Amino acid sequence: MASNRPLPGPFFRSPISAGPDLSSPTSSKNSDGSQIVNLHPQQRPDTLQNSTSQQSISSNSWRANSVNFGSKGVHYGSRGGAGSEGFSMSMSRREINDEDARLVYVNDPLKTNERFEFAGNSIRTGKYSVLTFLPRNLFEQFHRVAYMYFLVIAILNQLPQLAVFGRGASILPLASVLLVTAVKDAYEDWRRHRSDRIENNRMSSVLMNDRFQEKKWKDIQVGEVIKILANETMPCDIVLLSTSDPTGVAYVQTINLDGESNLKTRYAKQETLPRIPEKDMISGLINCEKPNRNIYGFQANMEIDGKRVSLGPSNIVLRGCVLKNTDWAVGVAVYAGRETKAMLNNSGAPSKRSRLETHMNREIILLSSFLVVLCTIVSACAGVWLRRHRDELDIMPFYRRKDYSKQEVENYKYYGWGMEIFFSFLMSVIVFQIMIPISLYISMELVRVGQAYFMIRDDKMFDATSNTRFQCRALNINEDLGQIKYIFSDKTGTLTENKMEFQFASISGVNYSGEKTEFLGEEGGYSIQVEGQVWRPKMKVQVDRELLQLSQTRNDTKSKEIYDFFLALAACNTIVPIVVNTSDPTEKLIDYQGESPDEQALVYAAAAYGFMLIERTSGHIVIDIQGERQRFNVLGMHEFDSDRKRMSVILGYPDSTVKVFVKGADTTMFKIIDKSLNLDVVKATETHLHSYSSIGLRTLVVGMRGLSISEFEQWQSSYEIASTALMGRAGLLRKVAINLENNLSLLGASAIEDRLQKGVPEAIESLRTASIKVWVLTGDKQETAISIGYSSKLLTSKMVQIIINNNSKVSCRKSLEDALITSRKLINVTRASDDDASSVALIIDGTSLVYILDSELEEQLFELASKCAVVLCANDVSMIQMADVGVGLSGQEGRQAVMASDFAMGQFRFLVPLLLVHGHWNYQRMGYMILYNFYRNALFVLVLFWYVLFTGFTLTTAITEWSSVLYSIIYTAIPTIVIGILDKDLSRRSLMTYPQLYGAGQRQESYNAKLFWLTMADMLWQSVVAFFIPLFAYWKSEIDSSSIGDLWTLAVVFMVNIHLAMDVIRWTWISHASIWGSIIATCICVIVIDAVPVLPGYWAIFNLASSGLFWICLLGILVTAMIPRFVIKMFMQHCKPCDIQIAREAEKFSNRMESTRNGEIEMNPPQR
Amino acid sequence: MKLSLKLEDQQQNQNPILFKAKIPIAVFGLPFLSAFSATHHHAAAASDKLSLSLRTHFPTGPSLKLSYNTPTTTANSGAGKMDTSPKPKSKSKKPKYSRFTQQELPAWKPILTPGWVIASFVAVAILFIPAGLLCLSASERVVEIVDRYDDECLPDSYSNKGDSFIQSKDTNKTCVRTMKVPRKMTAPVFIYYQLDNFYQNHRRYVKSRSDKQLRDRSYADETRDCKPEDNLDGDENEPIIPCGLVAWSLFNDTYKLSKGNKVLDINKKDIAWKSDTEIKFGSDVYPKNFQKGELIGGGELDETKPLSEQEDLIVWMRTAALPNFRKLYGKIYSDLEANETITIVIQNNYNTYEFGGEKRVVLSTMSWLGGKNDFFGIAFLTIGGICLFMAINFILLYVCKPRPLGDPSYLSWNRNPNGL
Repeated sequence: MASNRPLPGPFFRSPISAGPDLSSPTSSKNSDGSQIVNLHPQQRPDTLQNSTSQQSISSNSWRANSVNFGSKGVHYGSRGGAGSEGFSMSMSRREINDEDARLVYVNDPLKTNERFEFAGNSIRTGKYSVLTFLPRNLFEQFHRVAYMYFLVIAILNQLPQLAVFGRGASILPLASVLLVTAVKDAYEDWRRHRSDRIENNRMSSVLMNDRFQEKKWKDIQVGEVIKILANETMPCDIVLLSTSDPTGVAYVQTINLDGESNLKTRYAKQETLPRIPEKDMISGLINCEKPNRNIYGFQANMEIDGKRVSLGPSNIVLRGCVLKNTDWAVGVAVYAGRETKAMLNNSGAPSKRSRLETHMNREIILLSSFLVVLCTIVSACAGVWLRRHRDELDIMPFYRRKDYSKQEVENYKYYGWGMEIFFSFLMSVIVFQIMIPISLYISMELVRVGQAYFMIRDDKMFDATSNTRFQCRALNINEDLGQIKYIFSDKTGTLTENKMEFQFASISGVNYSGEKTEFLGEEGGYSIQVEGQVWRPKMKVQVDRELLQLSQTRNDTKSKEIYDFFLALAACNTIVPIVVNTSDPTEKLIDYQGESPDEQALVYAAAAYGFMLIERTSGHIVIDIQGERQRFNVLGMHEFDSDRKRMSVILGYPDSTVKVFVKGADTTMFKIIDKSLNLDVVKATETHLHSYSSIGLRTLVVGMRGLSISEFEQWQSSYEIASTALMGRAGLLRKVAINLENNLSLLGASAIEDRLQKGVPEAIESLRTASIKVWVLTGDKQETAISIGYSSKLLTSKMVQIIINNNSKVSCRKSLEDALITSRKLINVTRASDDDASSVALIIDGTSLVYILDSELEEQLFELASKCAVVLCANDVSMIQMADVGVGLSGQEGRQAVMASDFAMGQFRFLVPLLLVHGHWNYQRMGYMILYNFYRNALFVLVLFWYVLFTGFTLTTAITEWSSVLYSIIYTAIPTIVIGILDKDLSRRSLMTYPQLYGAGQRQESYNAKLFWLTMADMLWQSVVAFFIPLFAYWKSEIDSSSIGDLWTLAVVFMVNIHLAMDVIRWTWISHASIWGSIIATCICVIVIDAVPVLPGYWAIFNLASSGLFWICLLGILVTAMIPRFVIKMFMQHCKPCDIQIAREAEKFSNRMESTRNGEIEMNPPQR
Repeated sequence: MKLSLKLEDQQQNQNPILFKAKIPIAVFGLPFLSAFSATHHHAAAASDKLSLSLRTHFPTGPSLKLSYNTPTTTANSGAGKMDTSPKPKSKSKKPKYSRFTQQELPAWKPILTPGWVIASFVAVAILFIPAGLLCLSASERVVEIVDRYDDECLPDSYSNKGDSFIQSKDTNKTCVRTMKVPRKMTAPVFIYYQLDNFYQNHRRYVKSRSDKQLRDRSYADETRDCKPEDNLDGDENEPIIPCGLVAWSLFNDTYKLSKGNKVLDINKKDIAWKSDTEIKFGSDVYPKNFQKGELIGGGELDETKPLSEQEDLIVWMRTAALPNFRKLYGKIYSDLEANETITIVIQNNYNTYEFGGEKRVVLSTMSWLGGKNDFFGIAFLTIGGICLFMAINFILLYVCKPRPLGDPSYLSWNRNPNGL
């Protein structure tokens, strides 16, 4: 449908980063070189914001190890902050400062915009216009260091004293890169402009002259009243005034904004509801915050009919949202165009740098110093040469310092020998410029794009249930995936499906967890009759028969308690029931929409036991209790926040009694329960909770308290004050909530199962076998965590568990020290006995973690943790996106995490192919490509350098300048990129079967200092061979410099391509085409260059190729150059084979071996 | 010889083969191999695939294959791969299956087994040792006479003052040298002059020329790069043709050869590249203002002959790659017998004294490999020898310390159960 159209283009290319630190680049690299994947689903920026402030783990040593926690918590209700719907406030206390606020006169855009220049609604995501394109694009391109290097070299070359290359030739590399990038940018910008144009010209109906008329989006102004029909998209951020729903509810889908597909409820204020804009003039003044990028926050108040009404995030609908299940909605535009929250969030992706690249920079510096050394040698020798010949220079035929053609004899092109030395230094920089492989950066980007393409297209990482492909959001850390040592994973929604199922209940100390749960009947579950139709919940829940019977009776205290319990479940939430038509006209389904899957499960459970929530508006809820429809006024609601870890709702009963229901995590709930009332029940419930959590269930505790009239009034007034406050509203509301939520009587506890995702245990086992350390962070109780740990194979019976569970700093220190000793001992024992049965698992709870992180114990924790194979943190400390690689799961619910992640996928188990297969390939490919690029460029430079030694140190190049320029553009560029994208050292099957092969990346086998030096030594040998064989062959012969230059060109190009060919593992037709194609392309280029009559080398290649010596030379060079490499490679392969080598042999020969050696080839399964 | 490259890939688990048959048949008496196979696609039961093929089956040489696949394959799938099954959902984002996107293109995965390693070393040795011997013998057959004359042709009174000897107009620069032919030199005999320590590849020098001017009359004033030999006396209307240091320093010693009393004809035609005389140097470009400046660098040119006929210049303008070089002076189309005495009358005009250069005259025959050069013979023998040595070494290594290929017991985690 039309409304599925995404928001203005770039919005989707970049994650929303609402949290303070989300977009900041990670500063953390592990000191021991480990790489970390951070997995976190559905992380919410607002909870992040809360938790970062209380975060105490910002000390350097801890950060340096990239251990970062993020809060997930159990979120029961909608987000924290100020929910104030349903209450009309007639007073407002605080004026917003004029500077801090914008005043919007409803339906009076003229007045609204006269004092302040609010942005119009036309958006511009395009960066350039026709005029500004050239300067701006160039300016942006030259922000990259590489381009600056190109530019400086090119400028140097333009100086007449330094002109080594012809002008055209020296500009070509820079120009080609700039041109390609500019074309790409222009194309992208053109697409943005086009999407802007489409977006700006969409139509909406706007109130003009008391009539709703169609108006283009770009003409909409702040203050105008807009009417949106169902399935239409919001043109700007609007405050709701009224909706088709009599209670002022509007449902919106925010999929374009944060990717969450469930419906959210937004409310129009009671005061504005009854007005129909066409008939009676709406006028009012909205006083709201300045535009900001927090998509979950909004604070404002509205003056209408002399009254002040406070507005919160639930009253505003943001641009890009789609109106659903509501016929129409009318609202006033408050933020438009670039000031809308959606557009403000339109920031770039977080930039991270891969570890390989960091290491590479070290080698780049080495190469730069090598370049300086070469240039110094050349310039020093040039100085010496000039000094030695100083008396002869004047008329020396090949120097001729003096110009006799003028009247007075003067020096010609000679600047004194000091300057000459300086100039020859600069000239040698120009000649040897490609020593620093600038083209490498461009190749790397291309290779990463190619790798991303294959990751996205991998059908093994396609999630059929959510119909999502793998997503690559960051393009510069692909190769990090092959070097991961630690995985930090959230539990809920990452390991688990986040599809909650109600399992057991403990009500008033009685445990209803019998074996007798079953579906009731064919029809399934509870249903009610409404106007001749059958309404039933969409999801069926298994019920406990005993409890079901009890819930249907109504006479004893027990059933009263059960009544309160289920009423709490049905009422104390933010779930919205939506009635959905089915194919059967007499039957309708109730779909409970809400942001928390836990709440959904509880409401479905309540419905199954006959407490069916059928209507929720801002002011009341209707619950069908055992066939009897009851209406409760919702007098107030304190939504869930991660500090309180509970939510509460104040219900006004039909008989005008008032009760508060609270639901929350057991740790916080038992603190506020009045234990004097019924100690036995509390004790029993605690026992039940313990048993639930030890089988891996999520538990919630429900409590209740009646409110007296005075209590209620007191609460009401303080709530009003808090909820209309513009500053610190959330804090005030929290305070109000804490005052209210106390002395509760315990109703019971619920247990919800969050099932593990398919394939999680196997995936975790694979990852552990690959010696990746897995950390899981969960908000559950410790018992739950351990039990989940077992079921997900995170923990095995062979592991030694170290449990840290303390309440004070001192005891924490003690147990940490003990644990360290134990782990050291264990490791020693296993080392001595060669028995690897026992590895260590650390389980640490949130409180202890806080103590440890607050103090100087971090180091010890780190030491301990790095010894453990598994770390389980039952914690609630925040996890931020600070990891080297952030992987988001586009799971059941939101996709906020996806927006902030580097990679996103549908299922946890895809982590295995992602890391073990693609990560391995990416790393191996990239590592090889970098080394090869160093080698390739240095080889060419060295061949040039050797020649300089035979030209009086004057930087003549026998190789034509065009060949020098084309060398890294045409002659050798394509094969390395193709091999970087396509080569595979091992098949997917081997990599998946033997996760240990992943160790190659962890041990940095594809790129390390040793390999670098080895490659450089090889390069030195090859350059010597390439240069000196022709030199000796043509010594004292009539060879001209163009011919020998062509020979060197061809020799070097053939050499680097054959070098590459020797290392290619899989020869597909593409590899063949690119490598042999490059060689052919080089020959063609050389021929073309030598066919230009005005170049000195005219026809050289043809004369050369007609001599036998040339071909013998070429053959000799190629064979001689490759011998050392071949010998060393073969020797290492035979005597010190790496795992990959053996696996590759096994891949190829296993069939043969199996038949001859009779199954002996069976690779031992991992002994962990 | 039969070379067969089997392109294996991991498709077997993707497309389990139901049935496969290869039957050799004869068509018109020629051997053919017909193949028939049916595969079963993993995703969709409906898309079974049938393929028929017929290929030539000669014992040697390349083979030609004609094949037919069932048309379920999409048009663009050249490699004969299967498309995805009919989609269950209309809007599924499931990546389309192709061997390319799944990185499963058929590939040749060579592994150098010990056999291959040894074979390749032996092959190089077998190729290089005879080649080395061939080169040596070719070089051996070349007869070369080299005579350095720059010092010998300097009268004693001018020793250490070669400069003034050359620059003076009054000195007699004729010099007679004799040399003995060591072995029979069969025609053509090439006469070279050899300059040592002359940096014809010096950057100032190399750039000081105008190829446009040499080729085309209309570019006569294209002398920008030629400084200081660009225009006569700095007058822009008097461009020097050919301009620049390279032309200016034209070598101008001359040689006259005689065998006994018989003058040997030195043929100076066709000493330059054909491409140069025909295209690079214009036939309508005549020398002008050449060597008319204050400082005379070397040879003069006949102003009545176009540049394309000035072959000495053309040869000189092909600047040498290295500071020690030879350039062709002419050819003698008559045999020189062994022990014959050759007399060379040299006009010692060219000034190498002032920068310490050396001049030689060289008479040489030519082999298929060019002039006399033992380098290749020795180099090839050395490489061949090394390869043979390596082959033996690797044989010993494989025999003494065998390692079964793909033996899992060599895997790091099996060798060292503790892992890291």
